Amino acid sequence: MLAREVHVTGYGLVAPMALNAQALFTRLCEEQSCIRAHPLFVELGFANTAAGYLDSQQWQAIYAALEQPCGGQPRQAALAQYVAEQALQHAQFDRQSLAKPRSGLFIGANKYCASAQELDVVSQYFDAHGRVDLDAYLDHPSSQREPFAWRVDQQTQHLADYLGVGQHIATHADACAAGTMAIGSAYRAIADGHLDIALCGATELMANELPYYMFSSLGALCAKGDWPADTQSRPFMRDRCGFVLSEGAAMLVLESREHAERRQAVSLGRVLGYANLCEAEKMTSSSRDGSKYALCMQAALADAGLTPGEIDQVNLHGTSTAVNDSCEALALEQVFADHLAQLQLTANKSAVGHSLAGSGAIEAVLSLQSIAHGVQLPTLNYHADGAQYPHLNLHAQVQTQTVNTVLSNSFGFGGINSAIVLGRA
Amino acid sequence: MTQPAPRAVYLQASSLLNAAGNSVDALFGPAPTPSPLAFANQITAFHVETPALERRLYDRKIQRSVEDQGLRLLDCVARLAPAVQALPSAPERLALCAALPEVDAPSPCWDAIAALGENPDALLASLFNNTPPLHALTLLNSSVMSYVAEALACHGPMAGYCAQESAAFDALYEAWQLLREDRADSALVISSSPNLTPAVYLREEAQPPLTPLGEGAAALLLSQQPSADAWQISVQHCVRAYCPVGADALAIAQERLTACLSQAHLQLSDLALVVADPSDPLLQALLPGCRLHSSRSHTGDLGASSPLTDIAYACAHPSHTAAQQARYVLLCSHSRQGHLGLLLLHLSPQEAHA
Repeated sequence: MLAREVHVTGYGLVAPMALNAQALFTRLCEEQSCIRAHPLFVELGFANTAAGYLDSQQWQAIYAALEQPCGGQPRQAALAQYVAEQALQHAQFDRQSLAKPRSGLFIGANKYCASAQELDVVSQYFDAHGRVDLDAYLDHPSSQREPFAWRVDQQTQHLADYLGVGQHIATHADACAAGTMAIGSAYRAIADGHLDIALCGATELMANELPYYMFSSLGALCAKGDWPADTQSRPFMRDRCGFVLSEGAAMLVLESREHAERRQAVSLGRVLGYANLCEAEKMTSSSRDGSKYALCMQAALADAGLTPGEIDQVNLHGTSTAVNDSCEALALEQVFADHLAQLQLTANKSAVGHSLAGSGAIEAVLSLQSIAHGVQLPTLNYHADGAQYPHLNLHAQVQTQTVNTVLSNSFGFGGINSAIVLGRA
Repeated sequence: MTQPAPRAVYLQASSLLNAAGNSVDALFGPAPTPSPLAFANQITAFHVETPALERRLYDRKIQRSVEDQGLRLLDCVARLAPAVQALPSAPERLALCAALPEVDAPSPCWDAIAALGENPDALLASLFNNTPPLHALTLLNSSVMSYVAEALACHGPMAGYCAQESAAFDALYEAWQLLREDRADSALVISSSPNLTPAVYLREEAQPPLTPLGEGAAALLLSQQPSADAWQISVQHCVRAYCPVGADALAIAQERLTACLSQAHLQLSDLALVVADPSDPLLQALLPGCRLHSSRSHTGDLGASSPLTDIAYACAHPSHTAAQQARYVLLCSHSRQGHLGLLLLHLSPQEAHA
């Protein structure tokens, strides 16, 4: 356990069909999915068109609401700025609040993915040797060639400059665990006294064709393209067959207790503990007995100084892939044993899809809202009669329960496991 | 709550790969000559031939499924395997902290573009339907980390960073903290230079690099246990800061430098060696009167693997040879984006070697 209390004093979020955290929470409480047929996937004739995606209306709203335009930046940066502005406003900060010493910025993200159209543009500029003629390409309007100069840390750098972050900035690129790891790193930096305040979370825009091809070729996406889009993500069901691509962003404002008290900020919850462990198994599969996931959860509990019986709810990684869900179920049995029957469980990806780096941050915000409102969010498409692990306390309907502590899991490709413990203020 | 006293952190071993070779001694020999980039004649670079991976350590499929940047890193890390295997600690206590930047945006895109050039009528879908799944995962930096973790049995804490040159200092700082706070016994810190693809040209269009670029990788093994080498090298302090170009950039850097040196009650004049890019104006101003040493003349600008390469260079510097007493070495890293990293090392001769 570290020395200083770390409090959450604000958060912001954008997810498919939700422009803020309250809209997403309400949507989930009403048991409505955010997954639907993606027009781009339909246009491209994909076998499975289901995705969680930010639509044009959302993008218009995002760009219209920015306090300052971010021209020349990729959409990731605009999304990051929008969510950061939400989070800071929620924490009753202004834009300059991070422009001081002992402030930090920790953002999770994965690679920028060029679209087929962007690739086509470049392919028009081959020279006689079959190489890209960069000089000719550079004569192309800059807006169309920018994608090939963008970096995975583009949005972090943009936010750092926009907010004038005082001490430290980092970009976490840990696949599906990146969002949780960004929050965990910020928590550690504040808890051990290096920072007083941090903005942390993740952005991810992966609901496009390149990631579709990549994850489809791995067999990781839902194989039942003929199923209705909103029924395809079905964590812990016997007939689950892969995840649904999604996108979105979420950020949290973390402060030391002393810093929050000095400015009389309202605490929305606490980060109590965190663990990140390396699995060192095969790249896309975990130890089949769930032992590695269990170790990570146990390490997070130990860091929080809590016993398994003191956890009220687990926000599961629950991707709806065969291996991940079974490993996580076995891990829950190992960690919680006799407490499992009382443990509330929820798998938000059933409604939101899998936004990779974004998922951990989005689920952290949903966990904080669950604590605030005393709610166990539904796991859509879950039915006890078709469940592979019927003893798990999952429900397709929202449940009203007291929630004081939540363990939120994120397990990434490459064997990157992370878990964070959140609690009531 | 009172925090326990931080643990000491030692440098156990290092491994390099760059244009000078894969030995730290090569950094003090004749410098190789950079050559122009094929796609941008005005930019020169130190190239490294793509290495063949150690088959006893890595699955043979990795050789053809990982991009060059990853192969250079895996080759470099393989040379630390004996040192890792000699550690007394359990795999669950071995951390992995990685700096894996990608300059070329989605790396597979350049492969896709080349394929489109060869067969413009081919559908992109068909191209990617034939993409080996492992290659598909080059979308994610974690794929290379997982190969390292699997080969060297790293089961402890892990973290990956992707922010150009500063990523190495993020990884180093994370490893240092994990060991100080006793969350791990040892830590592998790994870093790779980005692939030199046309993305470099596009990105640097407005501000072309003044010094040659370089390809390479570097890795360090840190531990709570000192090595048995002639010099016992401990990490005294590690500082990260963000000071973008502006009026107060130097002031921020000076404040951090003072904080770093004060950990050992030092002043600049007490340092036996300062390793920093001598062409960086901020570092020149930050370190007045100091002779700045660097391995860049032999490697080029290695980006994310520059800091770890320079740490190995600093520890092996010939100026230590004649020294009889303990000494301090400072490493300063400053990226063009404004990230500052400071590392204070303490070198003391071991009695058995005295």
